[in-house]
Amino acid sequence: MGSHCEVQFFDDSRVYAKRLAKKLTDEASRLEKKYSRFRSDSFLSQINAQAGAKNGIEIDQETLLLFDHALTCYEQSEGLFDITSGRLSRIWNFKGGQVPDQKLIADALERTGFDKLNWHQSRLLIPEGMEIDFGGIVKEYAADSLARLARASGYNSGLLNLGGDFSVIGPMPEQKSWPIGITQPDSTGSIMATVNLSDGGLASSGDYERFFFFEGERYSHILNPKTGWPSKGLRAVSVASHLCTVAGSMASIAMLKSESDGIQWLVDSSLPHVYMRQDGSIGGPSSNV
Amino acid sequence: MKARPSRSLLAISTTALALPGIAIADAPPVNSSLSYQVSNYKEDDLSREESPFGDLGRYDIDVHQFQFISPLGRNFSLQVDANYEDISGASPWFTTIGPSGSPIVSLSGASGIEDSRGELSVGTRYYLENGSIGGNIGYSEENDYRATYGGINAERHFNNDLTTVSVSLSYSSDDIFPTDAEIFNRVISEDKSSTSAVVSISQIINQVSTFQTAFSITEQSGFLTDPYKLIDTRPDNKTQIAWSNSYRRYIRGSDAAWHVNYRFYHDDFGVTSHTADMSWHQNFGNTIQVIPMLRYYNQSAADFFTNVDDFSRPATDFQSSDYRLSAFGAISAGLTVKTTVGDWDATLTGERYLADEKYSAFNVSQPSAALIRYFRVSLGLDFSF
Repeated sequence: MGSHCEVQFFDDSRVYAKRLAKKLTDEASRLEKKYSRFRSDSFLSQINAQAGAKNGIEIDQETLLLFDHALTCYEQSEGLFDITSGRLSRIWNFKGGQVPDQKLIADALERTGFDKLNWHQSRLLIPEGMEIDFGGIVKEYAADSLARLARASGYNSGLLNLGGDFSVIGPMPEQKSWPIGITQPDSTGSIMATVNLSDGGLASSGDYERFFFFEGERYSHILNPKTGWPSKGLRAVSVASHLCTVAGSMASIAMLKSESDGIQWLVDSSLPHVYMRQDGSIGGPSSNV
Repeated sequence: MKARPSRSLLAISTTALALPGIAIADAPPVNSSLSYQVSNYKEDDLSREESPFGDLGRYDIDVHQFQFISPLGRNFSLQVDANYEDISGASPWFTTIGPSGSPIVSLSGASGIEDSRGELSVGTRYYLENGSIGGNIGYSEENDYRATYGGINAERHFNNDLTTVSVSLSYSSDDIFPTDAEIFNRVISEDKSSTSAVVSISQIINQVSTFQTAFSITEQSGFLTDPYKLIDTRPDNKTQIAWSNSYRRYIRGSDAAWHVNYRFYHDDFGVTSHTADMSWHQNFGNTIQVIPMLRYYNQSAADFFTNVDDFSRPATDFQSSDYRLSAFGAISAGLTVKTTVGDWDATLTGERYLADEKYSAFNVSQPSAALIRYFRVSLGLDFSF
């Protein structure tokens, strides 16, 4: 998954525990092999390799439903959450702190837009040069999927952490909820809030270690597919929901909005959340938990 | 105070809940299951040409099967099977040459047989990280027959669970004590035993297809003769081998699966048979499955098969007019409908079976006059809890 993943669960049988651990690892690697942007043999890479192809590519049911969810996010965010903006992330190099040429940005924007996808039933036709990126969806989906698998195998206590996206298998023994510390975006290690989770999932989005200053302004690595520039809204958002997938989508959209719109979006959702503003101040109903 | 969730959240939740890894509602694992199946097996009556005298009615059997499977602690499972059969009708008694020169059959008893069979078997399995081992014991009893049996088996997964190898050994000890033995000069009490070994390999080929092959050998010894026939003498030992193959393929576009099976069988009585069948498992949504099935069977006759009993030969000479030892072919067709409602599964099956020497792939020199045709219908109910 390209990030630190861990799973905690309880079992009095080592054999059973190992068997579940294997099941979960298998499912996680299945999803990684299928949707990783960084693996040339992934199905996602195959999809992207078909960009511009006349006949397009046949999409299986699971991927189809991921596209469907992505479309809902695209519509509900009024085009801000867009999985077709993979090209944009390629031209921005946050480590170098360089702003790409405006021509390059315009060109990438030309090749971005969920509404530019063409579907012939389950066959997808992608415009040339476009790149799909399931970031903000697949890792969260994997967390939910693994938690469900664990519950279906008879486990009712445990927690999954896929690189900061959490999904609860069940509360800790004695029905205690899991305390999850949310780290500050810019000082590694220090906790900005603790959220107690007894079911569902928690997802975070933020410019964790990936941001830059340009002409005195701080830019996150989260790119706005409308402007082609990094967003300047909230610095970090964590959302808890009945599903990690939902929490992830809600948090990602909040990050893409302007600071005030992002906060309003979170308040409207009525989900537990915590955020950090541009000035470093922390807010949200879960901030003092 | 809890505010109403936004429309956006509702929309986003809806598509997230539809994702396959999430979609299936959380349910506790299937802990135990209870199944019941009732079936009726009815052989067609003989015609007057086939049996000019006496009773024409053949076997009519009602079968009730119960099964209970449950986990037993963390590492064991328990399985209990109970069967009850109600048998009426008659089986071939002797064969002679009829007025037209073709063999004719006389069925046993003027009013046929009334019998019932009860069976109980208990098994357990122990699950290991990469496989399981199990054992079972059972007992079956009817008026004139008693069997006590047991078996052990082991299964191991290899190659990331893509390959499964299993082996099993079983033994059965049977007692035969024919009814009305003294009146009809039948044997009073006899016994036989059989030992069997099976090795099987299952391979998941890819996401949509699997293949399984199994080889079995069975050694029977003791009284292998039919005590109800006027004349029937068979060897005291029989070795049977069978090789079974099964291929399954899921067809994505049709939401259906092909099952294709082939079985080769040979025993040292001289019978060799080939069975080929295929079935199409068509899903309609998540709750209904319709399965049409077609099977072809072909066998050669046992070395000592005769279609007309020869009373002039010494009783020690091997001979039998049992139709099951004759050369013939058989065609059967069936239709199964399965449906799932909540924790219940219901299965309804109908099958028609026709055996005839004309269906044989080879020339049959001694056709049996007693080949069967039957209907089988069954209804099964499974409940998981």
